[in-house]
Amino acid sequence: MSRWQYFGKRLLLSIPVLVFGASITFLVIRAGPLDPVSAIIGPQGDPRAMERVREQLGLNAPLWEQYIDYMVNLFTFDLGDSWVIQPNTSVYSLVASYAPRTIWLGFWSVLIAIFIGIPLGFYAGLNPNTFSDYVASFGGIVWRAMPNFWLAVILMSVLSQSEQFMFGFNWENWLYNTNVTGPPPLPGDIVTLLTSPDQFARALKKIAPAALVLGSASMGNEMRIGRTAVLETVNSNFIETAKAKGVPPRSLVWKHIFRNALIPLVPIITGEAFLLIGGSVLVETVFNISGLGYLFFQGVKAGDMPLVGSLMFIFILLVVIINVIQDLLYTIIDPRVGYEGGA
Amino acid sequence: MSRTDEREDVPLRDRIGENPGPALRWLAGALLLFALEAGAVVNFVTGLFGPGVELPTLLSRELIPNNGYQDPATGAWQETFFGLSPALAWAVRVVLVYAYSFVVAWWLWRGYLVFREHYRYADWTPKDDMIDRLRGHRWGQFGALIVFAFVVMAVFAPPLGPTTVERTISNPYSYEIQYVDGGEIQSATVGEANLAARSQGSPDQNVGPMQYDEYGRFHPFGTLPSGKDMFTFMMAGARVSLFIGLLSIGISGFIAAGFALLTAYYKGLVDLLVVIAGDSIMSLPRLLFVMLLSVVLSGTWIASVYNGGLLLALIFAGTGWPVMWRAIRGPAMQVSEQEWIDAAKSFGQKPRVTMQKHMAPYILGYLLVYGSMSLGGIIIGVAGLSFLGLGISPPTPEWGRAVDIGQSYVTTASWHISFIPGVMIVLVVTAFNALGDGIRDAIDPESESGEDEGTEAAAAAGGGA
Repeated sequence: MSRWQYFGKRLLLSIPVLVFGASITFLVIRAGPLDPVSAIIGPQGDPRAMERVREQLGLNAPLWEQYIDYMVNLFTFDLGDSWVIQPNTSVYSLVASYAPRTIWLGFWSVLIAIFIGIPLGFYAGLNPNTFSDYVASFGGIVWRAMPNFWLAVILMSVLSQSEQFMFGFNWENWLYNTNVTGPPPLPGDIVTLLTSPDQFARALKKIAPAALVLGSASMGNEMRIGRTAVLETVNSNFIETAKAKGVPPRSLVWKHIFRNALIPLVPIITGEAFLLIGGSVLVETVFNISGLGYLFFQGVKAGDMPLVGSLMFIFILLVVIINVIQDLLYTIIDPRVGYEGGA
Repeated sequence: MSRTDEREDVPLRDRIGENPGPALRWLAGALLLFALEAGAVVNFVTGLFGPGVELPTLLSRELIPNNGYQDPATGAWQETFFGLSPALAWAVRVVLVYAYSFVVAWWLWRGYLVFREHYRYADWTPKDDMIDRLRGHRWGQFGALIVFAFVVMAVFAPPLGPTTVERTISNPYSYEIQYVDGGEIQSATVGEANLAARSQGSPDQNVGPMQYDEYGRFHPFGTLPSGKDMFTFMMAGARVSLFIGLLSIGISGFIAAGFALLTAYYKGLVDLLVVIAGDSIMSLPRLLFVMLLSVVLSGTWIASVYNGGLLLALIFAGTGWPVMWRAIRGPAMQVSEQEWIDAAKSFGQKPRVTMQKHMAPYILGYLLVYGSMSLGGIIIGVAGLSFLGLGISPPTPEWGRAVDIGQSYVTTASWHISFIPGVMIVLVVTAFNALGDGIRDAIDPESESGEDEGTEAAAAAGGGA
């Protein structure tokens, strides 16, 4: 099987996954025991109003018809309206107002994890069984076992009274005057954000603690896997050959070791994006950032099933796209892909 | 050849019958150990059908009571164990519980040694090597030790706490305690005493770790903002976490193993179908989907079993099996390529028997490794849900809820409320990961590859909680 055939196969496989994932969501939301109508008007609502809502939601139609409607709507990107959180607002406009904060948060947490986790892991792998290796490895193991929500609570409390705990360093007044909690001050459009250093730094400072927490688990993972990957590459035969051939140490490390050690890190980095979607609920709740995770949580609590279903579809779509990107990266980086028979 | 075949056929019972000495000696010890705690078992079993039958038990709070009052005249403690202070009496009980557990664990190990020495045919099996490797694996042993401590906490939750869940959390106004006030012995309900023992952040309204409250009660981990004893809360929470973790790992491990055997044996279309089903479930963000499910199903009868514990276990099992299956699919595929599988097939052996006898033993170890690692993730996930106010319904203790309750007190005198549960989660999760590492190195010393670690990371992450 050639590499591109392998990639094509993976691409084709993502279609049934998408359909199946959306179907599971439909099953849970529509066929589950929770009645969306009573969530909308309350359990003691007027029966006539209930009937009207039922009609509007199309809940009187047989289940298979609802299913077809639901799937057709989703796959034509007609995501419908919210019913409880902000009645009669389209899901699109809700996502447009909530998503930027989550994207900003997710972007920085991926970057922090990559730029701290991988270098530390590579450093530990290049200097195995030294004191600094043990410190880094042990730190990575403990760091990834830490629950996000707990770390968030501790960090938030410490930063909001930082003079007391950080030897007089005052986080809230440092550079810009900010509270630790609350949404980041993102300007209306992305051009202002990128062109105005002041706005950029302000938004970055605000999101930094949350991003650090959200990236923590992945940081530990990247460190650990980076370390093993480097160790394994260093001990492999082709490095031995390259050494014997007289390849200078600098090019040995950068060209031969790092490139190969990056391969096992690809699924970790892409899988991280996946964890961010789930973990953002807790971090956004603690830091009071009204992002997508927070919106989803509110929707679930309020029983706003139309909103929840559409959000879930967006998440599934994101995950599937990320997986395709991962396969694409694999196909480009690793020429061995597709030869080992793994599907 | 025929002689060895004959010997193979002798069941273990007859082998013991031939040489009953060592087995009987071991059994006597086991019975003695069991008798010490038989009362607790009887109480637990009869408690399922009504009020439990009370029998004298070694590790009970009745035998070693730690609640009492200080005699106003002499200053001696009354009603506690040997007149010790409540802290010491409680410590004696904790030490006894752990000593007993260690002895039980050691006796079980002895039992295995007795079997190995007297009743096993083979002088050596690959398992012996695995155990030897585990004995030299310090990191894995550290994990095993903490996991052991955690399991003891969950099993012996009632005697470990300085008081019981019933007395201090569920029904505080139905129980009375005696205390000394102004030189006189008075009594108050536990609820009233709790009001005075609240931890509200200010130094004069706080009962920290290892402190007594105004009513002469000892609190090893301090109290909650409601004045309830936190150590009791944590022990009962350990039981809930372990129950959910073990049950969901058991179910998802069973599903994963079944599918791994089927897909490795039949390959082709079966494999493709399971890949699609698994990928679809994995494409749902796990924590969000678990949240959704726990809200949607919260009105059903199943949510009332064990305060929602059973439901959570089922949800985590239903969403967790694809990760486990992914992890053990590789080893299962490798086994299915072996010649002996081919031989069994051409020999005409039934597929079910081939899978059970010739394939399952090889993936069992991997199942243990990934099970141990995912268990930590599930504990974090359950705690994250209770932190958000979902999942286990209050007042049933859950560690995540303590973190939530203590949120606003982290930088105050009552820092212990959020801090201790978090540290315990970190310890337990690290320990389960370490134990998984240890088992992996024991069953497969050449494995140390970066490729497995990706799945491990996914298994250990718990959906990003």
